[in-house]
Amino acid sequence: MLKNSRLGTVAEIALIVLISAAAGIFWNRTQLADAWRGEPAQRIEAAPQAEALPMPIGLAQVKEMHDAGQAVLVDARGLDSFIKEHISGAIPLPVDEARNHPASLLHAMIPVDSIIIAYCNGFSCPDSMNLGKLLIKAGYSSVFTFEGGLPEWRDAGYPVAGNER
Amino acid sequence: MNSLKRYLPAALRISLGAIFIYAALPKIADPAAFAGSVAGYKVLPYFWNYLAAAVLPYLELVCGVLLVCGYRVKAAALIVAALNVAFMAALVSAIVRGLDIDCGCFRQGGPKTSPWIALGRDAVFLAMAGLVLWLERKRENGLVARR
Repeated sequence: MLKNSRLGTVAEIALIVLISAAAGIFWNRTQLADAWRGEPAQRIEAAPQAEALPMPIGLAQVKEMHDAGQAVLVDARGLDSFIKEHISGAIPLPVDEARNHPASLLHAMIPVDSIIIAYCNGFSCPDSMNLGKLLIKAGYSSVFTFEGGLPEWRDAGYPVAGNER
Repeated sequence: MNSLKRYLPAALRISLGAIFIYAALPKIADPAAFAGSVAGYKVLPYFWNYLAAAVLPYLELVCGVLLVCGYRVKAAALIVAALNVAFMAALVSAIVRGLDIDCGCFRQGGPKTSPWIALGRDAVFLAMAGLVLWLERKRENGLVARR
């Protein structure tokens, strides 16, 4: 008798779990199918804070646009680092300062329709991404981040400027 | 005292069920956000976050409804207890790893709930489920004895 009732409870639990799983999977079938295909990867991040992110861009493209004068390179690091060394032709725009500038001042410094490439000290440094987000918020539409940053540029033997040359 | 004895089991069962229904609804409404909360714990591989986010709220809902209705209470309370144990294990692992995440227990997004508070809350729910089970068994035994 006792054994029977225990077996019954187990069966009930299994049934409840099965029904719930079926309902949940059925109800979310499109989303689950998307997730299975690996599609909504950015939806997870986009959910809490829907903001536009700057596009990453590689060394070769940065060099090309730099040489053609198509893009404005902005240095997101502090001013000290900029004075020491920076990509030649880049303009300093430390992210902490940019945060305090009104959009109009930024627009006076950099035309709003220009292509912007933000960089800082390489892969582990968040400043270029933060500056890129900030510039997008300030109304710039073509903002890229060069994640390799100054180290990759310098190591490739491309032109740099600054005191430590 | 007598009326307390009479109504306490039902009150306990219904409040536990209501809590679980209340917890399930926002997750059902926004499964992607809940998947994000689950992913925050960093215990499941990518797709499984979505699967858990799809299934868990319905399990909570079904168990909550069963508890409120008083139908198949034992099974529902056992599942609720197991869920709470799993939630607490996840919270402890988040605390141990020093993850700064929202518990994702009720409303998704918004201000973060500290994992310690969530842990305490889950312990209360676990105790409630245990009590419901105990009272249910007492009631069943009473029925058998009366028969």
